[in-house]
Amino acid sequence: MRKLLVIGLDAAPPRLLYEELVGELPTLGALIEEGARYQLKSCHPPITIPAWAVMTTGKTPGELGLYGFRHRKPGAYNEYWIASSRSIHFPQTWDILGRRGLRSVIVGVPPSYPPRPIRGYMISCFITPSNEVRFTWPPSLKRELKDYIFDVVFRTNERDKLIQELWRMTKRRFQVLRMLSRRKWDFFMFVEIGVDRVQHAFWGYMDKEHHKYEPGNKYEEVIKEYYKLIDEELEQLLKEVPKDAIIVLVSDHGAKRMKGAFCVNQWLADEGYLKLKEEPKKPGMELREVEVDWSQTTAWGWGGYYARIFINLKGREPHGYIDKRDYEAIRDQLIRDLERIRGPHGERWDTKAYRPEDLYQEVKGSPPDLIVYFDDLSWRSAGTLGWPTNYLRENDRGPDDAVHDWYGIYVVHDPQGTIEVGEKGIMKIECINDHLLELIGV
Amino acid sequence: MNEKVAVYISRELYERVKKEVEESGGEFKDVSEYIEFVLEELLKEENEEAVYTKEEEEEIKRRLRALGYM
Repeated sequence: MRKLLVIGLDAAPPRLLYEELVGELPTLGALIEEGARYQLKSCHPPITIPAWAVMTTGKTPGELGLYGFRHRKPGAYNEYWIASSRSIHFPQTWDILGRRGLRSVIVGVPPSYPPRPIRGYMISCFITPSNEVRFTWPPSLKRELKDYIFDVVFRTNERDKLIQELWRMTKRRFQVLRMLSRRKWDFFMFVEIGVDRVQHAFWGYMDKEHHKYEPGNKYEEVIKEYYKLIDEELEQLLKEVPKDAIIVLVSDHGAKRMKGAFCVNQWLADEGYLKLKEEPKKPGMELREVEVDWSQTTAWGWGGYYARIFINLKGREPHGYIDKRDYEAIRDQLIRDLERIRGPHGERWDTKAYRPEDLYQEVKGSPPDLIVYFDDLSWRSAGTLGWPTNYLRENDRGPDDAVHDWYGIYVVHDPQGTIEVGEKGIMKIECINDHLLELIGV
Repeated sequence: MNEKVAVYISRELYERVKKEVEESGGEFKDVSEYIEFVLEELLKEENEEAVYTKEEEEEIKRRLRALGYM
């Protein structure tokens, strides 16, 4: 039986960690250079929820019935529920270990609010409402976590303030991690969400290909400096970790430059799939704020890092328009039309639209009728209306610089040298749970 | 629901739970309340009870929108 530490860096891409920054990060660099390195292939969709849950259960999003942070409430056009720890109906890595008497420390692995009883310690993730609620297991642990910070709000134009908040959050998290690392544990896993936040907020200042990039701008090095902060904090943490523990470095998906946001509902309206009774009065209006003629509407969509398309199906929706017998033909037509969408200058896009059953053997919960990635994720989906164009250079929710990407990182480092070092190819995120259990030896 | 029945646990476990109750800083009134909480958490099914209050849910949705997840 081996002890195992999992360092989770949300959204850390191979490009930064395996290539561009590796030489400047002594601690992370050593783990990577002296470890087995994989390209981690994320799930559909490659988003924090469901990705970490896929990683820690070995189940697909279809089996989990988790397709993002929010899901439709059946029978309502505008109501949805938010995923939480209670949305996961399969044992996670630490549950399996707990049944064998092994103790875990779990910090910030989404979705982990509300925290559930485990053998060991748990601190919930960034979907925790506030520090006022019960966010630890055991509940008494909370008393030791004064001023703990779950997340930052990154869509702010006060960049300097955001930098301060990011640094404060991460330093506090590592203080807590060091404290917990001195307790008795066999499996220790944490996720630092700040990596995702710093990339979303500052990618355009770093990436020379980004449409917002200006040479010599004052935020050019922020992402690099943040990784250096993680590196320094990790160096301190690793001093507390038993020398024979296996160390895993992992992200749930990658990141790349955002080219823009594509207004999916405006496009559906242009194509006649969505019928509005009125013109939106101002830019950025939500679909629920605009009167929709549901009796004539074929489909509508949701925004996010990918688009979810719902068909207004008779018998399922409150004012269904599409007959069951026409459902597949409508989906096929939508797929063809979506995949034909071109960019703002008429350039060809690599858009993919999938039926959930194309992606998952089992499809539980409330999946969309189509899962759509505009231009291979480079364009996010904007659900809002009233814009003068379908192509927004910024996210409709405010300034954003990065989108998600298919490949993350997965590194296994064994100080005892039992694992062959070097490039190992691709590791599917669904396979990580079994791999971790195998490394521990259960 | 509010009718209580007695169950027996070992003295050793009782003492461990009691210590946890004392260290929880008032989160739990007594050992019974703690044990009931743990068992309810373990047996809880989804949607049995709302995870968030209405205000918390609005706040989480606002944050998730601001974060670009929706």
